[in-house]
Amino acid sequence: MLSHLPDAVGLLISLEGTLVLVLGTVLGIILGAMPGIGSTVAVAIVLPFTLTMGQSAAILLLLAVYAGSVYGGSISAILINTPGTPQSAATCLDGYPMAKRGEAGLALGWATVASVIGGLVSAVVLVFAAPQLAAFALNFGPIETFALILLGLTCIVSVSTGSVVNGLLAGMIGIFLSTVGGDPIIGEFRFTFETWQLYSGFNLLAVVIGVFALSEVFMRASAKPSPVSELVDFRGVVLPKWEAWKGRLRNLTKSVLIGNVIGVLPGTGAATAAFISYAEGKRSSPNKDNFGKGEPDGIVSSEAANNAVTGGALVPTMALGIPGDAITAVMLATLTLHGITPGPRLVDDNPTLIAAIFLGFFVINLLLLPLGLLLSRVAAPILRMREAYMMTAIVLLCAVGIYFVRGNPFDLLVMGAAGVVGFVLRRHGVPMAPLVIGMVLGPTLEITLRQGLILKDGNFFAFFESPIALGLTLVALVALLLPLIRAGLATRRVA
Amino acid sequence: MAGGLRESVLVQLTLLAVACALYWSTLGQTFSDVGSAHSPMFFPRIILVLWIGLSCIALVNALREPTDTERPHSLIRLGVLVGAVVVYSNVITTYGFFLSSAVLAAVALPLFGIRQPLVVLAYAVIVPGSLVGLFNHMLGMPLPTSPFTYLF
Repeated sequence: MLSHLPDAVGLLISLEGTLVLVLGTVLGIILGAMPGIGSTVAVAIVLPFTLTMGQSAAILLLLAVYAGSVYGGSISAILINTPGTPQSAATCLDGYPMAKRGEAGLALGWATVASVIGGLVSAVVLVFAAPQLAAFALNFGPIETFALILLGLTCIVSVSTGSVVNGLLAGMIGIFLSTVGGDPIIGEFRFTFETWQLYSGFNLLAVVIGVFALSEVFMRASAKPSPVSELVDFRGVVLPKWEAWKGRLRNLTKSVLIGNVIGVLPGTGAATAAFISYAEGKRSSPNKDNFGKGEPDGIVSSEAANNAVTGGALVPTMALGIPGDAITAVMLATLTLHGITPGPRLVDDNPTLIAAIFLGFFVINLLLLPLGLLLSRVAAPILRMREAYMMTAIVLLCAVGIYFVRGNPFDLLVMGAAGVVGFVLRRHGVPMAPLVIGMVLGPTLEITLRQGLILKDGNFFAFFESPIALGLTLVALVALLLPLIRAGLATRRVA
Repeated sequence: MAGGLRESVLVQLTLLAVACALYWSTLGQTFSDVGSAHSPMFFPRIILVLWIGLSCIALVNALREPTDTERPHSLIRLGVLVGAVVVYSNVITTYGFFLSSAVLAAVALPLFGIRQPLVVLAYAVIVPGSLVGLFNHMLGMPLPTSPFTYLF
């Protein structure tokens, strides 16, 4: 891959490459700072606009929005005690108390430096781990790939907030939606009910934008209007001095490691990483008694870990084609839309593109420092913008985005319907991330299962003659059953 | 609580009914079938059976442990907004992006609590107008225009 580095640098320093990196990071920081939008909605809003771009620019734009939004969430967490993204919820615990005592700039300074370091280390992990994992996965045939996708699907259990049954149900609905349209083996149409618009299936983006962005607008409309939050005194970011880091570097290193490890595991996500890291920081920091009262170590624990997840989460996405969460599922969909097949052959087939993505991810994390310093002051007044303007703009942008995907009016209808259905299901505790993961992984699951069965003369048990498939299936079973057993034990204990 | 219970049971019942109807729809279909894994319905049937099974468990859960679903703050506000968005997604290509979006903004903003008519009017004209100006006239990526003029 090193030999393709000059070409990758060429892609990045082109006008399009530079613009995409800077604008994407700016947009990510601003959207991430807006409470309620979050990384998934931010990426979903931007996604359709990438369709007119080249492959590398499109992926880099989404990566920039992703990394920027994770950092941006800390701005509202610190200034108005409302995390812009769920990943930043742990940052509120110490960020806001610091801001209340007049140190908002310094709190954001700690958050900025920790985020940048977390993101940079995760970029290094991505560069080294993804090709290794992909090289190993090159030995996979349809049977092993089926077992791998099965393992990927178990992340539905961990991304299911609330009820696991509802999460699995949403996953099944997602997989079913992916079967609508032409059959991948013999080409006959399924579940189209004489509607020609369904011959090519449901547009994944229309469903993603509907269930995430549009349903969020309906959720806000169903809630009591929230008053505009009061801003604490804030006059720009103040970077912590070198001496202030003494005694905190161990906590930073540990947080970055936690973020990376959790990021690589499918389905855990940045919010989990931030809270685990915060808990570990609180347990082991020399300043543990100050946690919750405005302790910089608390901000460092949360922010270093949640930004370290970004690169880690991309490792299984890029190398195996398995999304770890809703955001990486959307990334995966974008790669597919641009004619790139994520998975073991990704690095071998697109060396320049992958080098550009890895290098670009590194640059994005470096850009977080100057842009974070600059944009915090701009983003602060935006936090006072009334919800009405933001929500109405989201509906308009969703429509614009979906129209540009294929110019198909039917996609707009699908988006509207997905928004309404998503809203109803979310109200009743059915999470939407599993639905999207199911829709993304469904086609590969189907084709590998059917190919495997055809190869083995219909004998499903012959799948387990492959040690890799057997190992992956066992891990999948454990991953699936462990939370169910835990939940069962907890219920018994309560009873 | 009772309303919440009825609503969650209704949702789970609907999901179950949809899955059953879809499964039933696969039974009458004939394909150029040359074996189970070759059949286009082989995989969807497995998924639908799992969907039905999970729906049954979720339905039992909804009946046994009533969830306290929070009632919408204002049903009228929510209903009008959902209706407006659904109609909006239907008429964009007929009446053009600008006109449809201006009407949607004029409906949505008061629903979200903006009461000043001038602010609503300004937003309804400026935001969709800027998007049309940007995409149709600057970037050359045209959004749908109205039957009245090619400009918007």
